[in-house]
Amino acid sequence: MSPNPGFLKLDLAIRGIVVDDSLRGRNDLFHAPTVRGPVARSVELVLPGEVLVSAPVDEAFTTDSPYSLLQEADRFYLQAGDERAEVQIVGAPGYYAKKTRSGLPMWRIGSSYGPYLAINPASRCAFSAKGSQCQFCDASTQGVDRDEPIPVEDVVDTVRAAFAEGAIDFVYLHIGYVDSEDSGVRFLEPYVRAIKRHFDTLVAVQLQPPRDNRWIDYIYAIGVDALSYSIQIHDEEILKSLCVGRVEQVGRQRYYDALAHAAQIFPNGTVWSDLIVGLEPTESTIAGVDSLVDMGVLPVLSVFRPLGDTDLRDHPMPDTAEVAPVFAHMFERVREAGININWVRDLSFAVTPFEARYFSDPDAAVSGALGPLYRSRLGNLAVRNLSRLRRRLRVRQVNDSFGSSNL
Amino acid sequence: MAQPSSFVVDTRPIWILLLQSVRQPLLLATGAAIYFAVRSVGPPVDLDPAGHRALAVFALCVFYWVFDVLPLMITSILAIILLPLTGVLPAKEAYALFGSEAVFFILGAFILAAAMMKSGLSARLALMILSRFGHEPISLLRGIFVLNATMSFFMSEHAVAAMTFPILVELIAALHLPASRDSYGRALFLAMAWGSTIGGVATLLGGARAPLALGILREVTGDSYSFTEWAALNVPLTLSLSVAAWIVLRTFFPIGVLDVSKAEQAVEERLMKIGRMTLQERLVAGVMIATIACWIVLGESFGLANIALAAVVVLFAIGAVQWRDVEGYVNWGLILMYGGAISLGSALHKSGAATWLADQTIASWASGPVTVILLITASAVLLTEMMSNSAAVAILMPLSIAVAGQFDIDPRLMAPLVAVPAGLSFILPIGTPANAMAYSSGYLKVSHLIIPGLILHLTALVIFNLLVWFYWPLLGVAS
Ligand code: SF4
Repeated sequence: MSPNPGFLKLDLAIRGIVVDDSLRGRNDLFHAPTVRGPVARSVELVLPGEVLVSAPVDEAFTTDSPYSLLQEADRFYLQAGDERAEVQIVGAPGYYAKKTRSGLPMWRIGSSYGPYLAINPASRCAFSAKGSQCQFCDASTQGVDRDEPIPVEDVVDTVRAAFAEGAIDFVYLHIGYVDSEDSGVRFLEPYVRAIKRHFDTLVAVQLQPPRDNRWIDYIYAIGVDALSYSIQIHDEEILKSLCVGRVEQVGRQRYYDALAHAAQIFPNGTVWSDLIVGLEPTESTIAGVDSLVDMGVLPVLSVFRPLGDTDLRDHPMPDTAEVAPVFAHMFERVREAGININWVRDLSFAVTPFEARYFSDPDAAVSGALGPLYRSRLGNLAVRNLSRLRRRLRVRQVNDSFGSSNL
Repeated sequence: MAQPSSFVVDTRPIWILLLQSVRQPLLLATGAAIYFAVRSVGPPVDLDPAGHRALAVFALCVFYWVFDVLPLMITSILAIILLPLTGVLPAKEAYALFGSEAVFFILGAFILAAAMMKSGLSARLALMILSRFGHEPISLLRGIFVLNATMSFFMSEHAVAAMTFPILVELIAALHLPASRDSYGRALFLAMAWGSTIGGVATLLGGARAPLALGILREVTGDSYSFTEWAALNVPLTLSLSVAAWIVLRTFFPIGVLDVSKAEQAVEERLMKIGRMTLQERLVAGVMIATIACWIVLGESFGLANIALAAVVVLFAIGAVQWRDVEGYVNWGLILMYGGAISLGSALHKSGAATWLADQTIASWASGPVTVILLITASAVLLTEMMSNSAAVAILMPLSIAVAGQFDIDPRLMAPLVAVPAGLSFILPIGTPANAMAYSSGYLKVSHLIIPGLILHLTALVIFNLLVWFYWPLLGVAS
């Protein structure tokens, strides 16, 4: 078993974990697929070095995994051959069992991934409605499609419950594609405003790029602290074959243009884009990383997972040794470009440049020195206030009433 | 819900924004320091203590007005508070000056303009003028200029520009003129800005700075002007400046467009949409015509403010407007600004501070009435490019009246001498909201306007001084 937590995270994400029979029935330990489609039933582990990973436990490929999860007394271990390492399990949070004021179970609304509460309040992704969904995505079959969006009040109830039990630090709103000029900014606005009104927290948002850059300024102005337009696949042909909606309804170049603009508007290191490792040749992923870094955008690499309900269920998994250099390259490029790696990190279902430092830096502790500060209560408070101050300085309301124009 | 265009994200380096955010507290403190510095040096020998304190208040207000530290009207309120607090004027007197006739004239003029806008009468007039003129590129340009200039005879030039701006945006969109480089687009927005600025100096209705100058004049000397007298003094300036502005426009902004039929079509569609004149429009038009006639015929005996307010009462009595219709159109802040400025002007005069200050500045630089007049007009033009034209009037009027006394110039001359050039701002966006709107279109940059604007300024100064010396005496207004 690799002693390097970065490698271990990657290998666990690729190969999954065999779960001891005695643990199989323990629903409190496993995160069911609720909101974020591409993540199937998994176990959330904290590896040495505080590295979070969401490891698959259910898919067929996991049966060949060398890793198994064991419990001895109240401790958990990851075992591979003769080697074992103690890990912590981030169990299903207590609020999953609660209901909102309208009676919706909270586990249907928000899922905890490390310090993030991920919420998809939309009714469905317009790509799947048009039959042009991304082929690796199972959102339409895993309960994300609903008739009505989730009411703002129910989202607020869920966020309140998650905060009350100290389960999360940030809120992450994500939606699929909305077929409108703003691509869903208007739809998300009441959620963002309500969360900002009720809680002192940072809000990250992932959606598809709007047609006009003014919506990017607007989403920053209304209080969003971090933004993602995920291109997922850099290679134009592969993107077209696997994500026809992204290419035909949004346009590949539009993702990059919108990201470049967002990087000018949002603080350094708060605009990110996911690239999936394992669906295109590594050179192409590396080229994608380079394009993003060149425009000041933080790449986040997630490992392809062949979900059972998707067209890509039989697609082979990537090989850890083959893809590891991509992670090392990502970290190096991000470091050279001076992009802040402390904002977007601790994602259990993807590898951020913060964790990718383990692939490149012989002394990863040095490059992650500021990590504990950002993670601390004080650091968190400072980050929230700095974010607020920056927004106050940068955003101007245009008041064209002639009463204000220096009569 | 807010619109995406209602926010701008300033992407300049954060340290610049931080500096900018501490600008206001720094300037506030600097103003206070100036006030205390003036107070701490003790009164000059030739100025009594009340005058010295008035001077300190004036220095503070000038600083705040010039650097836009507080909204103009809040600085005025500060003046009203400080005058009694420092013992320059008893509180009763300071607040009484707030009730000046000029303030109520402005209030009446605002409500009348609001009725014209709200009823749709002003937009109809604008569209009618445009449909008459707008067949060729050059005649459309002329139409915009004439429309803004003539409408500014009857309502505030700012209101005229605010009303024309969206129409113009629509016309330009119909013509598909590219924002960054189209000279015709620039010319159209300039015709709007310059037209309303030049038209706005013709009568007492074009801008509230003329009533402000009259308010200060009346408080200090008891003199004033009738509606007709003011118009008679200034209409020739408006006419000759219109010709000059037209020549400058045509010289610096060539027309590269051949066909404006799409704009003409847009005007026609708009006219079709508003249909025939409503009863409300007819009533407002009737009251407006009657009011202007009364200002001309009865202005002197009945008072301009009285007529304006009577017209307002009539508008409400016949149901032509509702209070909620006009409430939003009245610039209450400006009314507060003028009340404070008139109080300060009067306090400076009564305490002797204005005379002392005039002695130290204009009087010591000028050698006779000719240079006094040149200096005052040039300062007014300069100040108005850098700050709001009302602030320029508030600063210059008390000084000018005091200088007039020292050079045996009729103080009445000072009101148009200050107010008219203070209304002529042709270059910077801060000078007048009409300029600010033209810039906001995205067609204009300061660099486009420096040379043509300077030429127009110089021409305006020459024409204005010629009129002051050769034409105004014919009307009995002479130095
Ligand atoms: S955008 Fe693609 S990945 Fe996201 S929900 Fe829609 S189909 Fe799934």
